[in-house]
Amino acid sequence: MDSDYAGGSGEADREIIRLWRTWRTVFEMLQDRGYEVTEDEVQISLSEFRAKFQEPTSGLPRRDQMKISARPTEAMQAKYTALPSKSNPNPQPDCGTIYVEFCADSSGVGTKQVRTFNHTVDENNFHSGIFITQTPISPSAVRLLSGIPGRICEHFQEQDLLVNITRHELVPKHVLLSPEEKARLLERYRLKESQLPRIQVSDPVARYLGLRRGQVVKIIRKSETAGRYASYRWVI
Amino acid sequence: MPSPDRPAAASSPALAQRPGTDPRHLAIALHHAQQIQAQKDTQTLILDRILELIELPSSPTADPATPAAADVAALKSALRPFQPADYDNLILERNIEGRCGYALCPREHRKEDPRVRFRIVWGAKGSGAGGRGREMDIVPREKLEMWCSSECAERAMYIRVQLAEEPVWERRADDRRGRQILLLEEGRAASNDHHRQRQPSASVKDVLGQLDNLNLATGSASDSADLALERGDVHPALHGGRVEVQIREKQVAAGSTRAPELRPEDRMGGAIEGYVPRDTQDQDQDMLDLL
Repeated sequence: MDSDYAGGSGEADREIIRLWRTWRTVFEMLQDRGYEVTEDEVQISLSEFRAKFQEPTSGLPRRDQMKISARPTEAMQAKYTALPSKSNPNPQPDCGTIYVEFCADSSGVGTKQVRTFNHTVDENNFHSGIFITQTPISPSAVRLLSGIPGRICEHFQEQDLLVNITRHELVPKHVLLSPEEKARLLERYRLKESQLPRIQVSDPVARYLGLRRGQVVKIIRKSETAGRYASYRWVI
Repeated sequence: MPSPDRPAAASSPALAQRPGTDPRHLAIALHHAQQIQAQKDTQTLILDRILELIELPSSPTADPATPAAADVAALKSALRPFQPADYDNLILERNIEGRCGYALCPREHRKEDPRVRFRIVWGAKGSGAGGRGREMDIVPREKLEMWCSSECAERAMYIRVQLAEEPVWERRADDRRGRQILLLEEGRAASNDHHRQRQPSASVKDVLGQLDNLNLATGSASDSADLALERGDVHPALHGGRVEVQIREKQVAAGSTRAPELRPEDRMGGAIEGYVPRDTQDQDQDMLDLL
């Protein structure tokens, strides 16, 4: 009995540490995307996280309480506002409050959980949502998640966010260009956007930054000869 | 030039009248866009069908061997646009809900020891090699956990092999596959009838089940309309192809034709496609010399 309890607690401890790292990565991700998050939230320490989300008796994490909603900053809104055109002289920013939810079910996440998530996003009128599960979700659930018209829902697995991939030394810096910067780039190099090199929406960094089809991202690499080297990718 | 990835913008008349546009390009772009839209519609439809089929059967005490007629009809009509992969998705979804993978079975799926990765499954007596002993099968746990029993597994797989492999939008109108799906029980009853003309069925239950299945052919007109919608036949893009086909008779030149007749140079066989064989050349020469 005693050893059983100790083993279980060790297991729970490991789980809470993993979850803490995922939680931090989620906040770093929101920050990098341009949402309003405080430095305290990003730098949350393990003990604070424990105090907030650990069940005092069993030591297990309370995933059902792990919910985040964040508003976009002004800078992000500017980046997501299309250029004014004749038909749309006063464009509105195509971004809004984001909602992040951790799924409590440890296995077998299907359409049922995704439906509830979709319902929450729809009901509270969130612009986009991120659904984080412990296990992979079924193909129909993925299709259901991406199927809400007018809203953007993404899915991550907890283990995908265990480490922040963009902090790795071999991953160059990716910067999203605003429509204005994109227009200037295309003007300067006399290009059509289809002539740019491409990056897939499913690319890990593109997923991290929540890039959308048609955007252009600037990739800044270190170069031995040139110091810094910028290249551009069109998201497809 | 209209961009092919924005069919909504391209369909506006303003774009068609812009200088330098080619209506053919516009038509091609629209055609492809509509095709892609039809495919997307079909995929949403299949997703909806999967969500419906998770809820089957309608009563929690239904017997998968003698399902209710309404459920059978619902299953059969819902499965029409499915590919085997979609059917696998359905089984997966049902298992996530804790149900048996066979859509007409209300029971829970089997739960094996999570530490076990494989199980040995023995077949019926006399199923082994040479009709002796038992057949042995090593089955991964995930496969075993899909169903409540091996009967349900057989029933579900019997349906799966009847589904058409190609997606709905590539199927032909006269393709019978996937349109007339038989349940395992119906298939067995049919083959029994075939073998020994009209033997009385074993149990009252079976007979009742078959009586239920008798009135299935109702509403076939609306079914075929549904299928046409699923296949995207109503789409104007799929009515005629991109190429306009006009059949025109060949004009035969005036004047009668004559049958070929023997000419003097053809006497010795003549030229083969313009080439005169050397032997006959010499012979001709000899003949000329003789003359």
